[in-house]
Amino acid sequence: MNVTEMISSLQAVPGIVFSTVGAVLVLIIAIVIGKGLTIHLQRSLKDKIDKGHLDILLKVGYYGIITLAIVVFILPLTGIERSGILVTGGVLGIVIGFASQSIVGNLISGFFLIVERPIKIGDQINIANNVGFVEDINIFSTIIRTFDGLYMRIPNQTVFTSNITNYVANIARRFEYVVGIRYSDDADEAIRIIREIIDNEPFALNNPPAGVFVDTLGDNSVNIIVRIWAPITEWFEMKTRLLWVIKKTLEENGIQVPFPQRTVWFPGELQTKKLPAKGMDEFPEAEKGYPLVEETQGLPELHEGTTEGGKSK
Amino acid sequence: MFNKYTPPFTINYKGHEISVEKEQGNLIYKRTCEYETIEKVLLGASGDFLINPIEPVNLPKPITSYLLIDFERPVMMGPGSKQKIYLTFPVEMGIFIIGGKGEHELIDMLTLNRSKYTLYGTPNRGIICRYWKSEVFASYPNLDTRYEGDIELDIINDTNHWIEVTKSVFNAFGMKIYYGNDRTSMRAFMRIVNRHLAETGFMTYTTTPEFRRSMELYTARKLMLSTIKGIMEHGI
Repeated sequence: MNVTEMISSLQAVPGIVFSTVGAVLVLIIAIVIGKGLTIHLQRSLKDKIDKGHLDILLKVGYYGIITLAIVVFILPLTGIERSGILVTGGVLGIVIGFASQSIVGNLISGFFLIVERPIKIGDQINIANNVGFVEDINIFSTIIRTFDGLYMRIPNQTVFTSNITNYVANIARRFEYVVGIRYSDDADEAIRIIREIIDNEPFALNNPPAGVFVDTLGDNSVNIIVRIWAPITEWFEMKTRLLWVIKKTLEENGIQVPFPQRTVWFPGELQTKKLPAKGMDEFPEAEKGYPLVEETQGLPELHEGTTEGGKSK
Repeated sequence: MFNKYTPPFTINYKGHEISVEKEQGNLIYKRTCEYETIEKVLLGASGDFLINPIEPVNLPKPITSYLLIDFERPVMMGPGSKQKIYLTFPVEMGIFIIGGKGEHELIDMLTLNRSKYTLYGTPNRGIICRYWKSEVFASYPNLDTRYEGDIELDIINDTNHWIEVTKSVFNAFGMKIYYGNDRTSMRAFMRIVNRHLAETGFMTYTTTPEFRRSMELYTARKLMLSTIKGIMEHGI
């Protein structure tokens, strides 16, 4: 580099410095304005728009102002051609797309999540067996707070390509119990009692009506299905409380919820003798866990007309 | 019952006992009934208490602003007709403390009616409503105002068909409740647009010292993005 070139480059320095400082200043001003607008919108719209919509609006406002400042002020200030940016951006997009497919995939998925909005901030959701509250939806990832209170970051691509269950998308939902009663109990009476409990429950919706009916004649019980519709905000509290109320009320009315049991019919009388009224120390085998039978006579005898399986010939 | 009270006082009301006592410069509010006891300490409070009817959509807890009144008997409306009927609504009471500058603050609510809710519409597009079943009266019914109030409802059929009306859905935003010694009332309209769509709203009464307007909980402060009309788009 000769002296003339050095001098000319030195003369160019103030221009570069000026445009750089100017660009930084514009960016700072844009950030300040963006923040100010965000705070103003947050204060004025807090009670009027739900949190999910408000967050998206704030992000759009904030990043919109910064983008506007870059396109309108910073690019001309730094002498960068906008048309050149578009061409460069296109080429760069292809390169970056190949180089960082997952990042771009997450970005695009995030965009479609924001547009399609299958989930909103505050919703209770299940994404690929990750269950919790949606805390935030960013452009690359979705933040979930699990019901255990854990922080979980799920890439948007996973969110977008997984089955999403939104537990609170609708305003009402149904839950179900299976209540078993003894075969000797009156199922009609049990249904009447359960219906009365549901009628007295404020948040068990009147419409759609609850369904209470005998579903199956099970091995150990007559099974009554109870289906109740409830507001989405109340169903869980009600579900966790009502089953025990039903159980207690049925028992108060003489209807038992049986435990699993099996009646065994022997083909003949068991030939055992009752225990005499003796102390347990006279039966050491009882302490060892042997059957408390003083004298066994082997298997019961088969009578005429029966087989080993107990069936009649 | 619906009146202004100066502490200390005790009211016995159908199994509910409401009392306010003074204690070392504070007020102790207490309400007891067979299934619950509520006690609140009002620090440095000294104002009067007001008990008046409030919008009947708050108990056991406010989850909606809509009241659905299911008619015991359907009403048939001729084409282009306008008819007045009387319905009942469940009374909920609000207990307010009145501050030094006349401001009111709700401290408790109660009702003697059984609360029940329902879904109007479908689970994905409908609304949750407080449910109430009402007989349809042609003239003002004499009611026990501790339990029920009356709605003077003008039904306007703007269609060219006979329309069967089985229910009305009202929005608590916009409700105007009036009360006197022997009456708790609202005045409303229901304009039928077509077989599946109607609009409901409320009108005012002329107030007198004996027939006053209630303190309302669902007021214009929250109305910025909420409509005060009830839109019945899932059937009438």
